[in-house]
Amino acid sequence: MNTLHACLLALICVFAGSLLMFPRRPQIAWTYLRYVVLVLAAGVVLTPFAWLLCAAFKDRDILMEYVFLPPVSRWSSETLNLNSFRQLFAGEKTPQGTVYFWRYILNSLFLTTTATVLHIVTCSLTGYALAKYSFRGRRAIMLFMLGSMMIPSMILLAPVYQLMYHVGWIDTYLALLIPGAVPVFGVFLFRQAIVNVPNDLLEAARIDGCSEFGIYWNVVMPLVRPMTGAFCLVSFLGAWNSFLGPQIYIHTQAKLTLPVVLSQYIGIYNQQYGVFLAGTLLAILPPAIIFFGLQREFVSGLTSGAVKG
Amino acid sequence: MDRTTKARGWGGIRRQHWAYVFLLPYVVVTCTFFVYPFIQAIILAFHQTNGPSSRVFVGASNFAFVLTDDEFWIAVRNTTIYAVFSVFLQLPLSLGLALLLNTRKDKMKSFFRLILFSPRLVGQIFVGVIFTVIFVPRYGLFNRFLQTLIGWGLEERWLEDPALVMPALIITSLWMFVGFNMIYFLAALQNVDPNLVEAAQIDGAGPWNMFRHVIVPAIKPVATFVIVMSTIGSFQLFELPYSLLRGGFGPKNSGLTIVGYLYNSAFNSGDLGTGSAVGWILVLIIFVISLAQIRVSGTLRSEA
Amino acid sequence: MLFPYGKAPLALLAVALLTGATLALATFCSRQDDYDLVFALFAKNHHEVYQEVIPEFEAAHGVRVQMQLVPARGLQSRLQSAFLAGAPVPDVVEILNGSMGYFARGPLKDVGFVDLTERLEKEGIRERMVESRFSIWSSRGHVFAMPHDVHPVTLAYRRDLVEELGIDVEALTTWDEFVRVGRRVTCDLDRDGVADRYMIDLPSDGASALDLLLLQRGGGLFDEDGQVTMDSQVAVETLVWYIHQTRGEGRIAFSAGWGQSLSKAMLDGLALFYFCPDWRTKTFQQDVPGLAGKMAVMPLPAWEEGGRRTSTWGGTGFAITKACPRQELAWEFAKFLYLEKKELGKRFAGSNIIPPVKDAWDLPEFHTPNAYWSNQKIGVLLSDLARETPPAYVTAYTELARTKIGEAFMNAAIYYDDHGDDGLRDYVENELKRTADYVRRVAGRNAFLSQARRESR
Repeated sequence: MNTLHACLLALICVFAGSLLMFPRRPQIAWTYLRYVVLVLAAGVVLTPFAWLLCAAFKDRDILMEYVFLPPVSRWSSETLNLNSFRQLFAGEKTPQGTVYFWRYILNSLFLTTTATVLHIVTCSLTGYALAKYSFRGRRAIMLFMLGSMMIPSMILLAPVYQLMYHVGWIDTYLALLIPGAVPVFGVFLFRQAIVNVPNDLLEAARIDGCSEFGIYWNVVMPLVRPMTGAFCLVSFLGAWNSFLGPQIYIHTQAKLTLPVVLSQYIGIYNQQYGVFLAGTLLAILPPAIIFFGLQREFVSGLTSGAVKG
Repeated sequence: MDRTTKARGWGGIRRQHWAYVFLLPYVVVTCTFFVYPFIQAIILAFHQTNGPSSRVFVGASNFAFVLTDDEFWIAVRNTTIYAVFSVFLQLPLSLGLALLLNTRKDKMKSFFRLILFSPRLVGQIFVGVIFTVIFVPRYGLFNRFLQTLIGWGLEERWLEDPALVMPALIITSLWMFVGFNMIYFLAALQNVDPNLVEAAQIDGAGPWNMFRHVIVPAIKPVATFVIVMSTIGSFQLFELPYSLLRGGFGPKNSGLTIVGYLYNSAFNSGDLGTGSAVGWILVLIIFVISLAQIRVSGTLRSEA
Repeated sequence: MLFPYGKAPLALLAVALLTGATLALATFCSRQDDYDLVFALFAKNHHEVYQEVIPEFEAAHGVRVQMQLVPARGLQSRLQSAFLAGAPVPDVVEILNGSMGYFARGPLKDVGFVDLTERLEKEGIRERMVESRFSIWSSRGHVFAMPHDVHPVTLAYRRDLVEELGIDVEALTTWDEFVRVGRRVTCDLDRDGVADRYMIDLPSDGASALDLLLLQRGGGLFDEDGQVTMDSQVAVETLVWYIHQTRGEGRIAFSAGWGQSLSKAMLDGLALFYFCPDWRTKTFQQDVPGLAGKMAVMPLPAWEEGGRRTSTWGGTGFAITKACPRQELAWEFAKFLYLEKKELGKRFAGSNIIPPVKDAWDLPEFHTPNAYWSNQKIGVLLSDLARETPPAYVTAYTELARTKIGEAFMNAAIYYDDHGDDGLRDYVENELKRTADYVRRVAGRNAFLSQARRESR
């Protein structure tokens, strides 16, 4: 019997107790149970994060000794320090010179933000065209898009790689940005949102002498900002965490992104867990920040899209 | 659809034709980086290459080799086991959590939703990096927790024992995806008609009947969507085992997945042709299974 | 006019522009110092040795050379994928033995290294070196790297204990004799049921010792044409022999592992002999100073009377990438690092590694008695053995073959534990055939190699 068992037992006792004490209102007990389960689930989900946070700041010698943090009595600059970060940022030698960790963060930021903005522009434009214009071939294009979504992207891995080689885009960021520049799910998301924009508004703008592109820019897009926000988040997450693309296309160490670099580090910094865990902590901060900023849009955008499914 | 006068817009271009202009990026990108490679993928599958530069025609020998290669079937087995657990373990948990969380007036709802969703923010690679240390025998978080909870598991070598690699992968994927799928189910539960719920309660239906007859039909479309998406995603598993097993495929290939096999053929051995062949086999597998799933859900629906 | 997409996308756009500008700046500012040669290598001790001599080369040619120490595994995989994709690579590299197979997987024209065969012949370098070393760095008869070493394998032993036990090492000329003596020596001194003294250290999973023994016998995983030979009769017999020495009642071997555990085993006299290529003599000297003067080396016992008394283990080679803009300079650099006689003498004294350059073996350093190894002139012994070193042919499937033979061995070992000698030989033969056929299938599938074979007929 240890602390954990004692806690669990206590929880069960409270549950049983509440059943007995309020025999005519069992919903109290069940609500209590509901919350217990949810809190436990939340705990399970949050534990690796907490552990990661602690591990990044623990000194190498005691990293494995204490699960989370050492007892307060042992807190000192010997046990809790920034050594892992220091080593992380110390720079590594490559045939092209020394590369510092900042560079990787910069690369990831650049690629991700550029990709996200690019996706927003292209998908919204394409979605707008599909939503508000009737033209020959519209059905065909939409069917084609639907069909293309069914194809797993893995089948294109090898031939696109070959194509990149022949146009000389290997080891450049173009290979990472251009092939996926118009993700189809994004097109459908925007189309869905734009379809709901009343046509009267468009007509009114036209009568006022607005160009077609002007309608898109001044009338439609401001109205679908929530969807744009949701898509922005999804796109950002996808690009930030993208691994396969940078792994196969980028050969110069200095151009690599965080996912590839950290997967290298688990081999290089074999037993020095602190170093790559510190790197991982830094790597999951930007997505977290974006998410906190955009969570409302994200949830509403996602659920409205999902229900239509 | 708006049939107004054929207004001339900018530069005399008919208004409707602007659509073609707006579609241009999509068309250009898709033709170059989807249609053309798609055709190439068919051609490549019948060749062997040494990297992207040289290639030799080999007929169907790539397919013959892959389909008779033990390692490929190990990959298929691993991937299938993972997919099965994804659907039958992960999704019920997601649904359960969604049911627990599903009240209309709860401020706590968004709080919990946020927390349970958070693992989705962490990319598969990063999850692998974190969990590769969590699964360290004796000193790692997971083993210590197990030991405290049920008095077993301190020395289990999750990532070095061939029998334990798949359980480790499944556990990690549970952490990653349960919250994510829960969001879908939560949205689906909004669809449940409250009148129906009330009627059922008046009829004295217990929770199980309520679930079976009121909730399940209402969430059927989303559930099917989630199941199919989950299966397709599971069959394409690659990044998580790649980083969890530190770039290898586990002892005795216990962490080898179909895409892992593809990656190995195409980029470790440099043979893009075999990689393409594996890709086609994967497409076929996914297609067949998705079709089957949709059929099954269709028949279930007509039953209900 | 407000940004139509919203605040977040605007922020992202700003970040994109900012980071893009920073990156562009960083790329321009870090314009590489112009080095004439960029040299990537993985061996730390080589790095130290070369650092001292490179200034001389730089002065003589008026150039600048940059050396980069990179991890071995990373070097190989990055080079491989960079070659295939046409991405930037260093000018010259030192590569590890066994990796040449990967680089020569496709058509010869695709090999990312410069073909050195003609140069080596024309300048007479090939005849100056031990011929068998070129096998490691060749594919289809073309040499792509200059050998750095020979790595002949000896048996190192506790001279003091061996003398105490009255063993005459001169008489250990064959493995049969060795095993006979070994059975006498391996015993349980303190009667606790566990043997305390073994004749020799052999790893229990086969690994490199198996490879080494096969090569000694003229077997090996592949032959000169790249054909799989891992299921030959020689291999079957060696596997069976190995199992007998490491398991069961007649065993004479203990698996002492590496580094500290090997040191301890030798210190305690737990094992008397172990396989010692030239590089291992130095590392052992450093790890176990306490045994100075008590160790000695001898040639390997032969498999039959008069047979080969050495094998080979490991190797490094120097290669020039086709991307190198100054290949003549790179070639001069190779010769400077590997062929300067006065340097070679010093290097041997520092590392005990003998070069493949035969005329260097007359240097005084090679004839100096080595106090640690009981004042033996190990240079003389090593150079005698070096002439006999067997070739070790590599292909793109060497790694696979090594894994598979390890698998066959482990299965055979389990069989032996369950059934003893009953049917062991047949089982080993079948297992080896099964795994060899698998490798054959994978290797035979390589359309480039079979095309090359067809063309050469």
